[in-house]
Amino acid sequence: MKNAQRFRVAAVAAAAVATLGLSGCAGSSESADEGTSAGPVTLEYWSWATNVDQVVEGWNQEHPDIQVKVVEAAGADDMVAKLLASVRAGEGPDMAQAEFQKLPSLVVSDVALDLSTYADQFSGEYSKGTMSLVTVGDGVFAVPQDVAPMVFMYRRDLFEQYGLQVPTTWDEYAALAKQVKEVAPTAFLGGYPDDASTFAAYTQPLGATWWSTGGESWNVGIDGPESQRVAKFWQPLVEDGLVDTTHFFTPEWGTKMNDGTLLSWTVGTWGPGAAISVAPDTAGAWAIAPMPSWDGESQVGLMGGSSVMVTKNSDHPQEAVEFLTWLNTSSAGTAGMIEKGGLFPASTLGQEALAEQPVPEIVSGQDDFWEVALTAAKDTAPVTWGPNVQVAFDTWGDAIKQASAARTSYLDVLTATQDAVVADLEKSGFSVD
Amino acid sequence: MSRQLRPRIAPWGFLAPALALFVTFLLIPIGYAIYLSVVQLKVDGGAFGIRRKVFVGLDNYVATLTNPELLASLGRLAKFGLVSVPLTLGLALVFALLLDLPGIRFGRLSRTAIFLPYAVPGVVGALLWGFMYLPSTSPVNFALRTVGLPAVDFLGPGSIYGSLANIAIWGGVGFNMIVIYTALRSIPAEIYDAAHIDGATEWQVAWRIKIPLLTPALVLTLLFSLIATLQAYSEPTTLRSISSSISYSFFPLMKIYRDAFGTDDVSGAAAASVVMALGTLLISLVLLRLLQRRTFEDER
Repeated sequence: MKNAQRFRVAAVAAAAVATLGLSGCAGSSESADEGTSAGPVTLEYWSWATNVDQVVEGWNQEHPDIQVKVVEAAGADDMVAKLLASVRAGEGPDMAQAEFQKLPSLVVSDVALDLSTYADQFSGEYSKGTMSLVTVGDGVFAVPQDVAPMVFMYRRDLFEQYGLQVPTTWDEYAALAKQVKEVAPTAFLGGYPDDASTFAAYTQPLGATWWSTGGESWNVGIDGPESQRVAKFWQPLVEDGLVDTTHFFTPEWGTKMNDGTLLSWTVGTWGPGAAISVAPDTAGAWAIAPMPSWDGESQVGLMGGSSVMVTKNSDHPQEAVEFLTWLNTSSAGTAGMIEKGGLFPASTLGQEALAEQPVPEIVSGQDDFWEVALTAAKDTAPVTWGPNVQVAFDTWGDAIKQASAARTSYLDVLTATQDAVVADLEKSGFSVD
Repeated sequence: MSRQLRPRIAPWGFLAPALALFVTFLLIPIGYAIYLSVVQLKVDGGAFGIRRKVFVGLDNYVATLTNPELLASLGRLAKFGLVSVPLTLGLALVFALLLDLPGIRFGRLSRTAIFLPYAVPGVVGALLWGFMYLPSTSPVNFALRTVGLPAVDFLGPGSIYGSLANIAIWGGVGFNMIVIYTALRSIPAEIYDAAHIDGATEWQVAWRIKIPLLTPALVLTLLFSLIATLQAYSEPTTLRSISSSISYSFFPLMKIYRDAFGTDDVSGAAAASVVMALGTLLISLVLLRLLQRRTFEDER
């Protein structure tokens, strides 16, 4: 997760450099200056999105009364800690980028402002599923920015060379993993989900609900039957040595991605952009396909993605929402984020604009790249995150590696994660069913 | 201002800068940490209640002392310390004794070479070693492969302690060697002359004269090494990104960092920090008390 985000940013930067040099600061006509009698305001905006400052420049030129100052305060991992510290000290930005799974924790930490009264301005620009990611309890707490539905990214050249068929179900995936070992003993079909964001994305199409609220209390379903099924699927593949166990975005993993040891990577749509930085020699050799399904279901899981929230410290929430609506749902804003930042936008309008974009370098041979990616984005599984996702992610990541090394059951890992999350919720004063 | 007052004010005037720094950078932060350790952020009800600060007394300390994760991390730290501390001190002593041999050649060069790793920042050292451990870049494994032997997994769950200790030893020997060496140089040469006249070999001089006289320096280095071990953080944190064997809570300080900045449990982290600090103090005091008679009192 950690490294994924970091590399994702790096990769997106690379993609952005390639497409740099255009993007009109096309004017947005709709932004009225209603209610800004107090003169020009300056809003501080913390973000790790690549080149977002260039996009914001366009806004600033058009809106002398609402000036936005972009601060690259931290990456996805450190953003929450920095934000909590500064807002608790009575400082901090007006707006900050937040991964979807971190939003609930920012809500209960009293950092995110309820935007329900402004939500009409932007909620129509997103699918219902996307809006559910920024809906916490009864409130809407952020404006979605980018989403990352899962896709199956594979080495098209090597699949052809070894005579392999792209798997459409996980059963086919398991059979294919075995076949790979026969035709290319040193290669692996792919890696196993030793980070919780990947694992969670595998369970979501099955309808797993890791967190849900029953009125005033929380239900935690991390060790539910859906997750158990996914865990039981991967354990024999790992034990038989049919999948690779290198953690992604380690140097070892990069080597294996680059030299053809790894034939596929099931990942969010940011994967193609991120992979080019670790596997530059394989440019054009990859393609994406829909993520394999468990029972032929059409929904896919989500891995990553982020939104922008307004903090409770902001004196100008109305102006902030106006800016965020422009940035994430207007054609000028989304075009800038796509072209300069390499983003996979969350808004419907933004996604429509993707079809006109050049495909990422690593999949440059695939003509229907955007078609496949956008189809995945159309039908994503509903996801509710809880207020202590980090506890689950850390516990899972640590325990699954230990279980793989010690050859103990992955079901125990699920139990340990469930127990850690429940204990943490109770310690924080939540009631848990 | 009367004359009688001046002597009372002057000492305070001289002390003021030091006191101000001491209060600002030590007492106040410690006080704040203790305050944080007796409060906690708790929601006031509801699934999306807001977390607010409430006084919880010693709850955080109870949670810290009964936390299996923290105990496990202390256990891992003990494994690491059992390898790194004796080897660091042993090697430092051997190098210091060798450099103190009469007629030593390239003494200054060797001293610098041994001391140099101490000047390398811990993170840089860990990165350097990390690439030595990684299967794809490790020269050791390259050599093993070349002669047809199986590769060594330096980052596996069992070998990681040795690999981490190796980095700590590499970085720590130089400093300890200098401390011991300096103590050696301050031993009067007459003692050696007397021993040599009595027919003592260099071995006997080292074993019966140098090492007993070095005891205060050895105790000091042992104390430093123990404290450094308890504070081990940067090496495992750096290697975490390349090894699956290092968890978020591998060593106590890593767990404290994660609690404070990963899962927003500053209070739990503060309580654990206080416990760690008291533990370090206790170990230091016990160690000094135990060794006092043998070392410092002899000098009187």
